[in-house]
Amino acid sequence: MVKFTKEMKDALRVPGKGGSLIYLCTSSRGGNPNIAAMRFVATHMDDKILIADMFLLKTKANIKENPNVAVTICHPLDEGRWWVFRGKAVDIEYGFPRDFDWYGANATDILNEWGNWNKAEPPDEVPPDIVFPKAVQRGVVVVHVEEVYSIEPGHVGEKIL
Amino acid sequence: MTVYLTERIKAWIEAMGCHICVATPEGVPSVVLGRYAEVRDSGEVAFALAEDEAAVIGPVIAKNPRVAFGISRQGGIRAAYQFKGAGEILRSGDIFNAVVAQAREEKGVDAAAVLLVRLTELYCTKPGYEAGLRLDGMPPEELDAWERQRWKDVPRKRN
Repeated sequence: MVKFTKEMKDALRVPGKGGSLIYLCTSSRGGNPNIAAMRFVATHMDDKILIADMFLLKTKANIKENPNVAVTICHPLDEGRWWVFRGKAVDIEYGFPRDFDWYGANATDILNEWGNWNKAEPPDEVPPDIVFPKAVQRGVVVVHVEEVYSIEPGHVGEKIL
Repeated sequence: MTVYLTERIKAWIEAMGCHICVATPEGVPSVVLGRYAEVRDSGEVAFALAEDEAAVIGPVIAKNPRVAFGISRQGGIRAAYQFKGAGEILRSGDIFNAVVAQAREEKGVDAAAVLLVRLTELYCTKPGYEAGLRLDGMPPEELDAWERQRWKDVPRKRN
C-alpha cells in the first residue's frame, strides 16, 4: 500500500504554493497514449492525487474507458522530484452520486473541497500570455496511486513505493 | 505526411528534453525522461536513453510502438504542445551512433539506446479554448504565423 512522503505531498500542490506543474499520462483502452500538463494538483489522504477537470478532452475520454494513468512531475525537476505515480483514476464530475466512493475517497468530500479550485487557488503565478481567460471546472480527477517508480537518472524504473 | 515543427518548437524540445509516454497494448502507461532530444529533418525526434530508461519503455514499444511526448520543465507550460508518433528503439546504426555521441558531448548522457519517434500528430495543449487543437494539418508558414501570434520566447540550451 502506498503512503506518500512529505516531499511528495509538498510537490503535489499547485506551483504557486511550492508545488509542481505535472504531466498526467493516460491511454485509450487499445494503448494509444496521451500526455497533458496540469496546474491544479493536490493530494488527498495518503495515496490519492487530485487534478482539476477544466480543459480535459482526450484525457477525459481515456479515463472513461481505461482508468490506468501515470502522473509525473514536469517542472521543477531539479528538486529531486523524480517520481512516476501509477494508479487508477476516475473523473468525479458534478452529477456523480454524492456517496460515490473511489478507493475510500468520497465524491461529496472531494467536490466540496476542490470543486471550485480556480477560486480557492487562483493561477496568480501563471504569466499573462499563458493563463486561461476563464476556468470552468467540470469535476475532479481522483488518482488512486498503487505504485511509485523513479525516473531519476541512474535509478530509472526502481520502485520507490 | 511529415509533421512540420517550427524553429521555436525545435528549440524548446532540444533545450528542455521531453517526458515520453508509452502504453502497453492493454493501456497501462509508463513514463521516462528523454533528457537529450534531437529534432531531425524528416519529422522525427530522436531521444538518447540510458540502459535503465530503455529497459522501462523498450519492452512496451516492442509490443505497441505508439508514443506521446511533451516538453519537460518550463516547456510544459511555455511550449504547450503534445507530440504523437511511432517509436522504434535503435541499438546500432548511423542515427544511433550520431545521437549517442552528441548526447554524451552535450549533456553527459551515457546512452545505450536511441528512441526514434516518427511524428504523426501535433496538438496544442495551451489551457483554454485551444486545448486539443490539432496542428499537424497546418502548412508550415501558417503554423509559424500561428505560433508567432502567441509566443516568441526561445530557451537557452541546458547543460
